[in-house]
This record gives sequence, C-alpha cells and structure tokens, in this order.
Amino acid sequence: MIEAVNLAKHYGSKTAVDGVTFTVRPGMVTGFLGPNGAGKSTTMRMIVGLDKPSAGSVTVNGKPYVKHHDPLHQVGALLDAKAVHTSRSAYNHLLAMAATHNIATSRVNEVIDMTGLAAVAKKKAGGFSLGMGQRLGIASALLGDPQTLILDEPVNGLDPEGVLWVRNLARHLAGQGKTVFLSSHLMSEMSQTADHLIVIGRGRIIADAPIAEILAGSQQAKVRVRTAEATRLGELLSGTGVQVQSNETETLEVTGVDSRRIAQVALENQVLVYELTPLATSLEDAYFDLTKDSVEYHSQELDDAAPAGALEGTLK
Amino acid sequence: MSTTTSPAPSAAAGGTGLTFSGVLRSEWIKFRSLRSTQLLLLFTFVAVVGVGTIAAFLRGTIIHQLMKFGAERPGAVGGHTLTMDQAISAAGAQGINIYGTPIAGLQLGILVLGALAVLLISSEFGTGMIRSTMTAVPKRLPTFLAKAIVLVVVSYVLTLLAAFATFLISIPILHSYGISMSLGLDGVVYSIFMGGVYVAGVALMGLSLGTLIRSSAGGVIVLVALFFLLEIATSLLGLVPGDFWKYVGQYVPSVAGGRMLEIGDKAAFISPLSGGLIFLGWIVLVTVPAVISLKTRDV
Repeated sequence: MIEAVNLAKHYGSKTAVDGVTFTVRPGMVTGFLGPNGAGKSTTMRMIVGLDKPSAGSVTVNGKPYVKHHDPLHQVGALLDAKAVHTSRSAYNHLLAMAATHNIATSRVNEVIDMTGLAAVAKKKAGGFSLGMGQRLGIASALLGDPQTLILDEPVNGLDPEGVLWVRNLARHLAGQGKTVFLSSHLMSEMSQTADHLIVIGRGRIIADAPIAEILAGSQQAKVRVRTAEATRLGELLSGTGVQVQSNETETLEVTGVDSRRIAQVALENQVLVYELTPLATSLEDAYFDLTKDSVEYHSQELDDAAPAGALEGTLK
Repeated sequence: MSTTTSPAPSAAAGGTGLTFSGVLRSEWIKFRSLRSTQLLLLFTFVAVVGVGTIAAFLRGTIIHQLMKFGAERPGAVGGHTLTMDQAISAAGAQGINIYGTPIAGLQLGILVLGALAVLLISSEFGTGMIRSTMTAVPKRLPTFLAKAIVLVVVSYVLTLLAAFATFLISIPILHSYGISMSLGLDGVVYSIFMGGVYVAGVALMGLSLGTLIRSSAGGVIVLVALFFLLEIATSLLGLVPGDFWKYVGQYVPSVAGGRMLEIGDKAAFISPLSGGLIFLGWIVLVTVPAVISLKTRDV
C-alpha cells in the first residue's frame, strides 16, 4: 500500500511533481503511465526516500519508507537499472545488498535463478546489456521478498521473453496480495499488465481509475459498417446521440449505437450489410486523449524539409 | 539465457531486518569485492615498504658519515668521530629521524589510501550504486559510519603491517652501517603504531570529501590540494617578512598531522599532541558538512 498526499517536488523554478494525491492498493497491479518527463521517476524516488519531497508526504505500508526497520522487506524497488557498481559482479552486488538486512546467501542464489542471471552472476555488472541490467535490478528488488514492489520502466530493454516474464511476475505477485506499482510510457504494455491506472502528465494526476473505466470513458465505441447503400443507411440511423461518418464509399463509421441495433435497422429496411465491426478503443487512443495537453516534449510534425533529427521525441 | 516461466519467489527471504552489523558486513563485502581496491592495497603496501627501504639506506649512509667524520658543528673539532647515539641525535636535529624509518614511505600511503577513500563513495555516486545503497539503508548515516570503520581499520592495519615490515627490513640494512635498529630505540614503537593513525585520519578526510563533492576527480584533487599543495603554498608564504605566515604553515593538515608522528618538542613548533588535535580539527571540519550533505541532499 502506497499513499501519497499532495506530494510535490520542485527543482528550482521547475516543477517535476505538482501536488499529487493517490493510493496504490495491494492485490493488484497498478500502472503509472505518463509521457517522458511527466514526473513518474521523481514520484517513485520520493516514495523510497531518495528524493525529499518539496511538499506533501508519502507513506509505504503505513509509514514513511525511512522509518521502517526492514526497508527491503517492505519495498523492493527497481528505479534505475544502472544502480550498480560497474566493476562489481552481480553476485557480489546482491550479496552486499542482502547483508544489510542479514538475508541469507541462499536467497541471493534464489533471486539469481529466478531472474535467469545464473550464467552471468560472477561477471562484472558493467558489461551487462540493458536487459541483463534490468534483470539484476529486478533481482535486487526481490531480495527481501517485499510486500510492495516498485518498478520503474521494468520492461525497458528486455527481450520479448523477458517482457512476458516481467508481466507474469507482476501478475503473480499481485495475486499473492502484494502491492505492485509499475511505471511505463508504453500504453500497450499497461493494457496487458495493469488492473488499475494512474496517469500522470506534467506532474499532475490526470486519471486514476480501473483500466476498463479509462477505456470506456475516453470516448464512445465506434462500429464500422460496410453496406451497399451507405447514404440510405446513414440517414436511417441518424438520430440523437448518433454520429455517422463516411470516409470511403460504402463504408460508415457509426458512434452512439451498438452493432445489434444497426443490424436490426438494416434488416427492417432491407439494406444489404456485408461488414459490421465494433471498433474497440485502444488504450493508446485513451492515453493520447488524456495526455494530449500535458506532453512535455512535443515532437515536430515531419515535413519533407525536416531533418532526420526531428524524429527525436517519440510522442506527438 | 533461460528464465523460469513461473516466477514464484517461493521461500520467504528471511533476514532480521536492517542492523548496523549487517550494514558493516555489506560495506566490507563491497570493499573486498572490487579488484581495483585489492590491487591498490597491494600497491600501497609494496610502495610504503619500498620507499621505507630506500630511506633506510639513505639514513644509514648519512648517520654512518656522521659517525665517521663527525658533525660540522661550530666548535666541533673536524674529523672527530661520534658515537651512534650522538650521530643519531645530530641527524635528528636536521630532520633525519632514524626512528621514523619504518614510516618513511607514509606520504605514498596517504596519497593512495586517501584517493581510495574518496573513491569508496564517489564511485557509488558515479555509477549510480548509491541509489541501491540508500534504498537499502534509507537513514543513510549507518552506511557512512560503516564505510568509515572499514576504511579506518583497513588503513590502520595496512600501515601498521607495512611499517613493521619496513622495520624488519631496515634492521640488516642499518646494521651494515654499524647502526643497531631495534624496538628499544627511542620513538620506533611510537612511529610504527602512530603512522596508521595518521593514514586512517587522511582516509576519513578522503571519505568525507568524496561524500561532499560526489565526484572522484574533484574529491582527489581537493585531497591532494589539502595534503600537498597547501604545505607548499604556506612554506612559500613563509618567505613573507614577519612571523605570522611562518606559524600558519604549522597548522595545515599535513604538517600538523606529521607533527603527531614525531617525538619530543621542537623549538618554535607545536607539540605532537597539539599537532594531533589540529589534525583532528581538520577531520571534523570536512566530516560534519559531509554527513549533513549526505543526510539532506537527494541522491
């Protein structure tokens, strides 16, 4: 359980986190979603006491993180895959971390096996690929078998097998009643892992709801209809709350009425319909909807004269 | 590489929670698990003993000459031979202490162990390791204290061993010059045991500078400035007419700390005890801000 109240962080005149209040509950995976620079990492760093809040407070399992007498058993955090000494082996890194809490060496070997690091555990961590670094970070987060897991961009740099593994791990731990809080700027990742979403943009919470609700609330479902008599069917369907758009011949995109009702109208009026497809709102759409006003780094529209460098900044 | 498909953290992690002995053990594991640290310690030992051996030859030669030809003192008869004790005190008057031979290589030990102490924490800032460390020990100060203990013990023991090794090596060398070196010689035991105190103090300052500055290069530069450049600068200022600058020079860390290693009072010089206290003052002066910075700044 993580509870943040009016949590804020300013760096000089720049506001990274602007008074956010949220609760991350146990027994489910909570996604922390937002564009680059939205304040996700800063918020997570404040949760484990690496950064001091400029205002407000945050507690983990009822107490500020620093007040716990067994922090690694309370919270396992992967905040930065590079938080290791590059010249030390993965095994010795984990051994040193475990020693602080008198965690047995057998547990170190256990997390090494669990994260698939056995083959490289005695090698210097500095030589690890991004994906291996992530695995090592997850291994140290799991060392204390913590009640709460905080993972900042855990799938960053992982191969597809690793991505699947992180997803299963998050779901498994949540299933055990633990609190799982993971951040991402990838909406597709969240839709497959998280039960609940907290969306942040420019340091403010812009949505805090179950994933299904965010999907449903973003915009009404659309239905694509292909018909021999597009114009006539369009007229028949139109009414209050119903929008009909036609971008191609013999094709309609209807909002505000479900596919069953469309089929019924078509049948009653003897209109031939050869496709009737409900268009589900993707989390991407919902996300863009929510964050379009709060993206920190807008990339420019590409035009012919634009140099390749304009591709920098992934969100539009 | 393979990954277990069912990621079950089966056994409970166990452990008793955060304890200071655990943090100390953790810092010791970190200290010994870096190849570069092991090599530096070995290098320090070899260098301190090596310089000490050379010093034994040089001092032996000088004292031997004094014993043979006598000191060129006003009133002394030229060619008058001196006894060993007379020759030793005559050399001592010129700053060549036979009793200090076991720690003659100390300046190298200071440089290397001081730099190692800076790196012990600045490399954690540099690599990002500090975030793992401070997540495990969110109160932060136990980590600083544990690092300090590891450093003080390692520097003291290493210097003690190197000094004792130098002492053993110097016995046959000095014997060949007709000088009998032994633990019974005034000041020998003192210098063997005090050398490590000085080096441990420098290491503490290095750790504090690394904590404060957070950069390896910056920390080492400031340490070198404090222990080498400051002494040179104040000795140049000593050329300024008047007594003021002559005395300022005695308060810089290397001179005050060095006084601590000598026995007996010299005219117009602070006593070894005062030197030790001034050196302690310097340590406090950098350690206090370092601890405050570590406690309050974001990592």
